[in-house]
Amino acid sequence: MTTLIDGRGREPPEPMVLTLEALDTLAEGDELLLLLYCQPHPLFSILRNNGYAWNEDVRADGTREIRIRKKPG
Amino acid sequence: MHPHLSFDQAPPISVPYRFFLVAPWFGVMAGILLAWSGGDALASRWTPEALALTHLIAVGFMLQAMCGALLQFIPVAVGANVWRPKLVANIVQPLLLLATLLLVGGLLFSRPGMFTVAVPLFLLALGGFVVVVALALWRTPATSMSLWALRLAIGGLAITVLLGSLLAEALARGFSVPILELTDVHLAWGLGGWGLMLLAGVSYQVVPMFQLTRPYPPWLTRWFAPLMLLMLLAWSAQIFIDPVRWLPLIALCLLSMLSAYAASTLWLQYTRRRKIHDATSLYFRVAMLSMLAFVVSGAVFLLFPDLGADPRFAVWLGVLAFAGVFVSAISGMMYKIMPFLNWLHLQLLNPPLSAMPNMNRMIPADAMTGQLRLHVLAVVLLLAAVWQPGLTRLAGTAFAVSCAWLGWNLVGAVRRYRTFKDQIRAAALHC
Repeated sequence: MTTLIDGRGREPPEPMVLTLEALDTLAEGDELLLLLYCQPHPLFSILRNNGYAWNEDVRADGTREIRIRKKPG
Repeated sequence: MHPHLSFDQAPPISVPYRFFLVAPWFGVMAGILLAWSGGDALASRWTPEALALTHLIAVGFMLQAMCGALLQFIPVAVGANVWRPKLVANIVQPLLLLATLLLVGGLLFSRPGMFTVAVPLFLLALGGFVVVVALALWRTPATSMSLWALRLAIGGLAITVLLGSLLAEALARGFSVPILELTDVHLAWGLGGWGLMLLAGVSYQVVPMFQLTRPYPPWLTRWFAPLMLLMLLAWSAQIFIDPVRWLPLIALCLLSMLSAYAASTLWLQYTRRRKIHDATSLYFRVAMLSMLAFVVSGAVFLLFPDLGADPRFAVWLGVLAFAGVFVSAISGMMYKIMPFLNWLHLQLLNPPLSAMPNMNRMIPADAMTGQLRLHVLAVVLLLAAVWQPGLTRLAGTAFAVSCAWLGWNLVGAVRRYRTFKDQIRAAALHC
């Protein structure tokens, strides 16, 4: 299952808060899709330190698609 | 709220705050100096008062705020880790403060001997700062256009400081250098290579993030920083080649680049899906409109040299650049960064949800917009005072009060941070 958070029209720290809340309930095998207009380095650091993997694509309009999953094990 | 998650990239909150809290008071000093001098302080860019005012704003206000912002920004925005940020801030900030006061004193009272003390302090403080930040910026694996602009900006700072030190030593020790050409090149690197490069690099990230716009167009982010570097190198040729016939052409290219950046920022604000009119957005609008006014004035200066022959014309450009563009953009940025940092660092305390304050409560919106209006009035008065010297004292007073209000608002944000921190700790004890 994929959960979508569109952070593009939201003021910080709202996208971060919503993402952290969604991570609390993210099951293994599920995916969280975050849409932003910038690279969220603090979030990447949190993900790295807390056992999550992610990959990032950039759309033509500059939107960054960040797909987050729990690392297996 | 999220007890199992760790935030490790934010430097201690005292690192940016010790720079931010000092910056506005240099603006207050500049306003008081202008109100005290009155009359012909703005008659030319070379009066002792004008030179002192320029450095109170450029080194006192801008550089303090920009160093603090950079130490905070690069871990968060480009994922680069600065070596012992607290130690760096504890050394750089007081040295910078002392060096600025000595430099300004030397310029104002025409005592070049004070430069011989100021220069080593500047070289020590900013040399260390440049090395630490440059290492962090080169080691990060990030690849954004912001990162390239920041790398060039830190190089621009190094060149500005070296040229400024050379000028100060030449004045203090009386050795011969092409003072006018070196001053123009020093100014160009300070405003363009450091100030504007940093502002652009930070804007690519914070304008979409905090002002809810689309990203900057890729052609702008890809070409702005390298073209600016090329133009500044060409501009610097005037130190070695005399006369440089193509300098007006370089100046026109630089003005075109400024207009592209300013117009893009205004267009992004105009076309955003969700309109917010907070102090940061409005301050950025003031900064970009000032930049466009600078471009139009500069073009008039180049195309009609007779009109630009009046020495007050350069002061007019200086007021637009320093007070109109940079003080506005930096004030707007601090009004957004400080509430956000308050929120982030309170979050680190793992507060219960009920105790977590809203970011909008960190600095009252009315206080920010009131201060913004006074700042705009002060800039208009400063511009008018360039041509009507009778307005100089009023303009200086308005600018001093506006900067004091900014400083008071920022101190208020720190007070509220401490209050919320105490409340969170008290709430945790009762859980």
